[in-house]
Amino acid sequence: MRFAASLAAALALLTGCTTVEPYQRAYLARPDMGFEPPVGIAKALDKTYPAKEASSGVGSVGGGGCGCN
Amino acid sequence: MKISTGSANLPAGALFAFALGLLPLQSVAVEAGAAAPEVAALRLGAISETVNLSAFRGQVVYVDFWASWCTPCRISMPALDVLYRKYGARGLVVIGVNKDAAAADAERFLKRTPVSFTLVQDAHDAAAQAFDVKAMPSGYLVDRRGIVRSVHRGFTSETATQIEHEIDELLKEPA
Repeated sequence: MRFAASLAAALALLTGCTTVEPYQRAYLARPDMGFEPPVGIAKALDKTYPAKEASSGVGSVGGGGCGCN
Repeated sequence: MKISTGSANLPAGALFAFALGLLPLQSVAVEAGAAAPEVAALRLGAISETVNLSAFRGQVVYVDFWASWCTPCRISMPALDVLYRKYGARGLVVIGVNKDAAAADAERFLKRTPVSFTLVQDAHDAAAQAFDVKAMPSGYLVDRRGIVRSVHRGFTSETATQIEHEIDELLKEPA
């Protein structure tokens, strides 16, 4: 029982959850907090990801492999 | 198996976790009828000039929590500026409490939407916590005796009409 209580306490604390109050949403409004990156950065990621992973045709952007085209 | 009873046997960690969960419940949102909390905040852009809410006792005060990231604030800020220009001479004070994380964001917003009423910063959330702000924007209309008479959460064009009516009524009340 004591173990269960300790485990519950540990789980509650280890998740590191916090409440974001309505007036603190400036932190959520940051561009890098979006679900998707900005269009320009998304395109760059689409291109570099397949190059980095040595896989071609994964993303929607043409080219791949060496990442040089 | 020994079953422990009583709070003395509970692990301190469990008590702490429980207390942590209770924290958000402790603050009580300011509603109509409550006394306006005592708030002292730095003027926006200033480093030492303080604005005290209690200094405006005897005047009708509209305390508005706003931010550049708050979309309805694009309507509420110009609307409040119109009200301030119209009723300022009769004793209306408007205090805009900025909730931006970066001062530059507030400046950018104000460049596009300039206002003439008092603006303050709330870097450590003291004012927002005192009022326990539940939405953005949140407006608190305080009468001449320092009592919150109405709370407006969110903002539409109808809100502006309603606030104007309330301000007009409160300005008629004696100090």
